[in-house]
Amino acid sequence: MLTAENKKEIGIFGLVACLLMLIPGLNAWGPDGGLFAVSSFQVSLWGKYLTYAILAMSLNLLWGYTGLLCLCQSLFFALGGYAMGMYLMLMIGDRGAYQSDLPDFMVFLGYQELPFHWVPFNNFWFAAGAVLWVPGLVALIFGFLAFRSRIKGVYFSILTQALTYAVCLLFFRNDFTFGGNNGFTDFKDILGYSLNDSGTTRGLYIASALLLLTTYLITSGLLASKLGKVQQAIRDSENRVLFSGYSTTSFKLVIFILSAMIAGAAGALYVPQVGGINPSLMEAAKSLEVVVWVAVGGRGTKWGPVIGAILVNMFKSYTTQAFPDYWLIIMGSMFVLVVLFMPDGIVGVYKQVKNKIAQKRSLQIKEA
Amino acid sequence: MSDNLHHGPLYRDTPLILSVSGVNKAFDGFKAIDDLNFYLEEGELRTVIGPNGAGKSTFMDIITGCTRPDSGSVTLHANDGHDVNLVKLKEFEINRLGIGRKFQTPSVYKSHTVYDNLVLSLNRARGVLKTFFYKETAEDRECIMEVLKTIRLESRVHDLAGMLSHGQKQWLEIGMLLAQGPRILLIDEPAAGMSDEETERTGELLLGLEKKHSLIVIEHDMEFIRQIARKVTVLHQGHVLKEGTFDRVQSDPAVVEVYLGRQGKKDTNK
Amino acid sequence: MRSIFKHVVGYSFCIFSLLGMLAAEERSARLVMSELIMASGDEQTALIEEIENYGDPVIAEIYQAWRTGGVYTLKSNTDLQLLEFTAQQEWVSVASGDLVSLSEGDVANVKKERAKRSVRKLMKGIIDTLGLKAKDASVRIDSAIKMGRSQKPEFVPALEARLILETSSEVKEAVEEALAISLLKNGNADQKLTAVKDLAAMKSIAARGFIDEVLLDEQEASRETEPLAEASANALLVIEEHLKIMEFLGSFFRGFSTGSVLLIVSFGLAITFGLMGIINMAHGEFVAIGGYTTYMVQTLFIDTWGLSSEAFGWYFVISLPLSFLAAAGIGLLLEKTVIRFLYRRPLESLLCTWGISMVMQQGFRLIFGAANVQVNNPTWLMGNLSLGGFSMSYTRLFIMFIALLVVILTWLLLRKTNLGLHIRAVMQNRGMASSLGIPVARVNSMTFALGCGLAGLGGSVLSQIGNVGPLMGQQYIVDSFMVVVIGSVGNLLGAGISAMGIGLVDQLLQPSLGPVMGKITVFFVIILFLQWRPGGLFPTRSRSLED
Repeated sequence: MLTAENKKEIGIFGLVACLLMLIPGLNAWGPDGGLFAVSSFQVSLWGKYLTYAILAMSLNLLWGYTGLLCLCQSLFFALGGYAMGMYLMLMIGDRGAYQSDLPDFMVFLGYQELPFHWVPFNNFWFAAGAVLWVPGLVALIFGFLAFRSRIKGVYFSILTQALTYAVCLLFFRNDFTFGGNNGFTDFKDILGYSLNDSGTTRGLYIASALLLLTTYLITSGLLASKLGKVQQAIRDSENRVLFSGYSTTSFKLVIFILSAMIAGAAGALYVPQVGGINPSLMEAAKSLEVVVWVAVGGRGTKWGPVIGAILVNMFKSYTTQAFPDYWLIIMGSMFVLVVLFMPDGIVGVYKQVKNKIAQKRSLQIKEA
Repeated sequence: MSDNLHHGPLYRDTPLILSVSGVNKAFDGFKAIDDLNFYLEEGELRTVIGPNGAGKSTFMDIITGCTRPDSGSVTLHANDGHDVNLVKLKEFEINRLGIGRKFQTPSVYKSHTVYDNLVLSLNRARGVLKTFFYKETAEDRECIMEVLKTIRLESRVHDLAGMLSHGQKQWLEIGMLLAQGPRILLIDEPAAGMSDEETERTGELLLGLEKKHSLIVIEHDMEFIRQIARKVTVLHQGHVLKEGTFDRVQSDPAVVEVYLGRQGKKDTNK
Repeated sequence: MRSIFKHVVGYSFCIFSLLGMLAAEERSARLVMSELIMASGDEQTALIEEIENYGDPVIAEIYQAWRTGGVYTLKSNTDLQLLEFTAQQEWVSVASGDLVSLSEGDVANVKKERAKRSVRKLMKGIIDTLGLKAKDASVRIDSAIKMGRSQKPEFVPALEARLILETSSEVKEAVEEALAISLLKNGNADQKLTAVKDLAAMKSIAARGFIDEVLLDEQEASRETEPLAEASANALLVIEEHLKIMEFLGSFFRGFSTGSVLLIVSFGLAITFGLMGIINMAHGEFVAIGGYTTYMVQTLFIDTWGLSSEAFGWYFVISLPLSFLAAAGIGLLLEKTVIRFLYRRPLESLLCTWGISMVMQQGFRLIFGAANVQVNNPTWLMGNLSLGGFSMSYTRLFIMFIALLVVILTWLLLRKTNLGLHIRAVMQNRGMASSLGIPVARVNSMTFALGCGLAGLGGSVLSQIGNVGPLMGQQYIVDSFMVVVIGSVGNLLGAGISAMGIGLVDQLLQPSLGPVMGKITVFFVIILFLQWRPGGLFPTRSRSLED
């Protein structure tokens, strides 16, 4: 049996799905000029926004619904990106600048053969698996240690930030076999399709859109179940949950790992669409940027993070071009204002306005 | 002074449900609990009083697994005759054995409805996967409605718990404990911050639970204690100073000296 | 020759202020030199002997000009002038050092003076050992060490001569060391043996490579069992051992100074974070404010009095309190406008202050430029304090001193003043403090300003050992948060101990692991530490479970 609320949700979901498919559709079959023309560049730009939106949703799962402000979301995103990047690097083959079978940076650093942990990444499906299990494993180990010793609240945030910082330092090193501060770039093709091909661009976009919709379904599924209720109960009063016979450690750990995997998958789709990856993607500031998206959109709401990620990034693209010197100041002040005056983000404002209107109407009806 | 101490249960005609014996706990050299012996009977309502720093909260922490004692044993005597040592268990494991705890400040899930608060407290499907696949049964709903009746919150069932008044939150939390179907209820200052009327209703609520559950109530409010008291345990410096009926304890000179003589302090504690 | 000339020019800078004193005591070196240039035959020999007693670097300068044909005579009707044509294309009187302006006719009339071969031979030795006779002890030490290391036989007599004359024990030690090193090559077998033994006794680190050479030579000549070879091997062991101890002490010292930096930065953080529940992500930018304030004070001093003026040394003393005040002032402003809405909402405060930090960073870039700015050390902070062969830089010692001062002052402020009493009261129970008539809002402002001020002070100190730039605070902020977490939030003693601990572990790990792996290891050590003590070093026990 479906309630009115459920029907509305399904309707919105369908509408979003259609809107998402509009972009590649217009790109493939739309006009070449005019308002409805969508270039391949725009398709991959929107594809990038979508992976950001997924990243924001993964953080929302932790911060919005479980109360864990995680500052290593960009780390998971980058780990997924690196796993996919390794596959893409190997797919370049001998078309690199040095015309060697090894990736260019390895030739440059004097490697004679591929390091052993790179070998399995010749296989796409291994890489696709690593996209999930590498961030998942990091989340498992760190989460186990952190939750076991009851690290929560701001302490959790600070430690996750330090984790990001530490791993980021590692990736900046040349001898870590991941290309040092230049990272990976110059990808040629994925699964045999050229990345310059507009068809591939559309394919990657569609994959991102599908991942976004899947993430939405996962979030909704969780929230509808008792697991989701426990999640939110942990946010409200963790001790009460603990003293109701739930192992809060396990719950938090599972959500943390799930969120890390989603972020990793988003990162894996980000890399081929952007065409490269380097350690600056996992700097601590990037994680905080993700927090901004969620806060602006509305934490603890289903669509808020998506709205926030897309709007903030569009705004960022615009301001970095229009006011390159001032965009940090604009972003920073915007963020301060959002935290101070819009604690529930754009979605919260929308709800407030709606409630106000509804109140006024009911008053008018009463007066009449 | 040692004459007043009871190192064993007072009455042996009803079976014991909880034994705390020879427990010590020190924080950085400060002895919070000092050779504590405490025995609770099945279906008993016990009130624990004591001046500030007597170790009441630490005592509860030790029973519920928040704090590990340095020495001594805490034993739950299970229905089937098995004894379970609680000292090594985690909080949620102890809770699953049937020991519920209510905190001093009301802690309910404020963004869930009253109903969901109780659903989450039911003693079923508490593993991660199990909660994901959990489906409410008719029996569960019945159980919840019964608890709602006991705590008199039927009318607020679909309201968010955050919207309840302070007293209602306290009752909801007691209700959440009841939904767990616990054998022992540990209740920390249930009347704190309540109006006289609310306090009295809380007292009635607790008295109604007697016999069905075993209860340990920590309280400061003497009027409230007079209303509910059966047997009273006085803690002082982490040690049982005196045990007995309210009147006997109240007239004991040692108790008067350490506790009632300082009763005026109670107001500043709140 | 060129290199020695370079050194001499370098020394001349240090000795600049001493010139006046020298001239007052004896006949000025310039005067003697000008006489030397004009004299001939026996007179010259006598003058060279006189010159030998001088340590004035100007001698080298004039001689260099003389030798390369930069000294001229100008005969006019009345007198004879001796002039030097300097690298700056100026004419300078050799006797007085004053600038002389010549007419074009004069320039056409000057006659180049050339040093005779015999003079050149005599002068070379004097110029090379000039540093040994310098007024400044550190110049004498440097010069002795260089002469020893060159192992040139011609320096042995000069060093020996100096050993007798030298009064300063420090210089004497250096001369002895230099002489022994020199003798390793130039002495006879007995002298070599004594030199090796002496160097072993001195635990001379500088001699390590030279003794190694002696040992190799002996081994090549298959004299491994001779006393010299054995003594050398033994000396090397002793010196290695000493070197290890020194390296360890060095790590220790650096650890303490890194810890002190962390302490100054994280104390402010511990106050805002621990005492007020505000996670100030912009703390690093307040550090930068301190750095930039120091930079501005320095610029002001340079503009007003010049870089080499006496007054310049005072700029740092002035900028320390100014940095504190500047950061505290901006902190106060921030508290009044933004922070006061965020008390007891730590997560929101984290996000909000991060936004502020972005704004501030970009602000620095717009005002001061994206590149780092140059902050010079005042001269009194240059150099090292040597203690039993172990040298500690004054800058780092000064940082430790400031850290200690910060600890003491903060303690006094919190424990002995009314404000401190209020701060502690508000920290423990906001509502109660307010109802007891404590002006909570004002106390909050003051506390936040204090925390920011300490960050600014930290920035001022940091400007002496690191870069001052828009991102200068960022590199310390993660470490500082770790310090606060490890030391238990709100516990200043804990913050102090953990700052020192993290600094020490970091520096002790660095030699073997390198800076990056060292940092990562420290991070994992911290995570493991929190497994053992989740509440940090000094956890506060709260009665209610919900906190």
